[in-house]
Amino acid sequence: MKKATNTPSKSPATVLGSEESFRLLVEGLKDYAIIMLDPTGHVASWNAGAARFKGYRAEEIIGKHFSCFYPTEAVQQGLPEQELKAAAKEGGFENEGWRVRKDGKRFWANVIISALRDKDGSLRGFSKVTRDLTERKQAEEQIQQQSKEIMELSTPVMQVWQGVVVAPLIGSLDSQRTQQFMERLLNRIVETNSPVALVDIMGVPTVDTQTAQHLIETISAVRLLGAQVVLTGVRPAIAQTLVHLGIDLTGIMTRSSLSAGLQVALDILNLKVVRKDDSR
Amino acid sequence: MNEPHQGEFRITSENDIVMARKVVRDAATTLGFGITDVTRIVTAASELTRNIYHYAKSGVMHWRSLNQDASVGLELTFEDSGPGIADVEKAMEMGFSTGKGLGMGLPGAKRLMDELVIESTVGKGTTVVVRKWLKK
Amino acid sequence: MALESISVIKLRDLLLVTVPPDPDDETISALQERVLQAMALYEARGLVLDISTVQTLDSFFARTVAETVQMVALMGGRTVLAGMCASVAVTATQLGLTVGNALTALDVDRALDLLNAAPSGARRV
Repeated sequence: MKKATNTPSKSPATVLGSEESFRLLVEGLKDYAIIMLDPTGHVASWNAGAARFKGYRAEEIIGKHFSCFYPTEAVQQGLPEQELKAAAKEGGFENEGWRVRKDGKRFWANVIISALRDKDGSLRGFSKVTRDLTERKQAEEQIQQQSKEIMELSTPVMQVWQGVVVAPLIGSLDSQRTQQFMERLLNRIVETNSPVALVDIMGVPTVDTQTAQHLIETISAVRLLGAQVVLTGVRPAIAQTLVHLGIDLTGIMTRSSLSAGLQVALDILNLKVVRKDDSR
Repeated sequence: MNEPHQGEFRITSENDIVMARKVVRDAATTLGFGITDVTRIVTAASELTRNIYHYAKSGVMHWRSLNQDASVGLELTFEDSGPGIADVEKAMEMGFSTGKGLGMGLPGAKRLMDELVIESTVGKGTTVVVRKWLKK
Repeated sequence: MALESISVIKLRDLLLVTVPPDPDDETISALQERVLQAMALYEARGLVLDISTVQTLDSFFARTVAETVQMVALMGGRTVLAGMCASVAVTATQLGLTVGNALTALDVDRALDLLNAAPSGARRV
């Protein structure tokens, strides 16, 4: 970074600090929409950034009420007025939300509205600084969508035989994941008409009271449908934790391995695996 | 499709409980809630409507769609001029019953919805507001 | 009017009741009445409640069903709730509702199998 050199004739502070150059700065800034509103919310000034984000030229927007930048449902709910009120009351107000361009297209904006008062405290108007964060919002939504898909991939429910579905759980179970898992498990049970569901927890690292509660809730819901759950993959460490936590799993069938659980499922369905005779 | 995103439904008879469920089911489905969330919302509405009918004999249910930033939600308000609830905290505890076996309404609705706000004055009435947001 | 909408079918020594999609409180209470009358009339040993079209299971419905199950048991019968749909099961569980000592089955066929199985072989879920 270059050091500012002192020009002998004029100090840089004087040149850059003048009101004229400040106005040039604000007007020329293309990445931020910086506008002024009068106390009633009508547009009083415009800059290059505002023209860029919102699509209006200065001549066609000055004097109009700033609620034209908001989507209709926001205007119906009185959002623009509420934001001005909040800014006037607190001195400033920051928010993120959808705004509308001149051509009707929406963009996701970060908005800071500040109340401008003169020395005796009377309200002169508002300054409004807006940033276009649409790209960031789209990236966030994509991540959310991908997380959702990852969650679905990591809790598959597969039908392995007529009447038996298997759901291997990998990772920890928070409230949201349990909810999604429960819905998916129940729907598959109904779809496949399977009276037995093997829920394998070999891949669940630890079980705390909350996780156990979620599992018990899931098992209760499956019972209401008319099916039953066999909890499989109960490792020694998990067995110890469950007993130490005093979690009551009586009435719930459990096995240490998935294959042992499958044997239970076959018993319930009155099925038997028979070796094909060599002589046939 | 310019349907009104809000409405009102008066509760005066036992039959209105099932009517209220239908109204709420339509509203929730139109807003785009999935079938499980629709079931939750309708069940919560059923509990709260029944509370109005049994405790206050009459009341009103308002419903409206919510729009906050990019989230969509449904808000239901249940108002009555009934006897009111003396101990709101106790009423919110699971299993508390006033004898008619009607204890599940408030705690149940709270579990099924995202938000529940209740205001009650003995002798004047009760207002319960519940909201559920569409999960993206 | 409510009494007419509930039909109780006799299948040998079992009773089958198909519950309508969104029954009002009067209908639910009438269901209990009709079931108990039929239990006495036919000396049935079991009841299948087909709830496969029921869209809402609130606390009143659940309580009435639980009561009915107890009453049927006192009259010598077992009850099976058949065909609860997934979203109702999720909601009922979240609400903490129980259906008393009722058995459950994925559909009416399985419910009948359950009741026809020998008592020692019957599976309690």
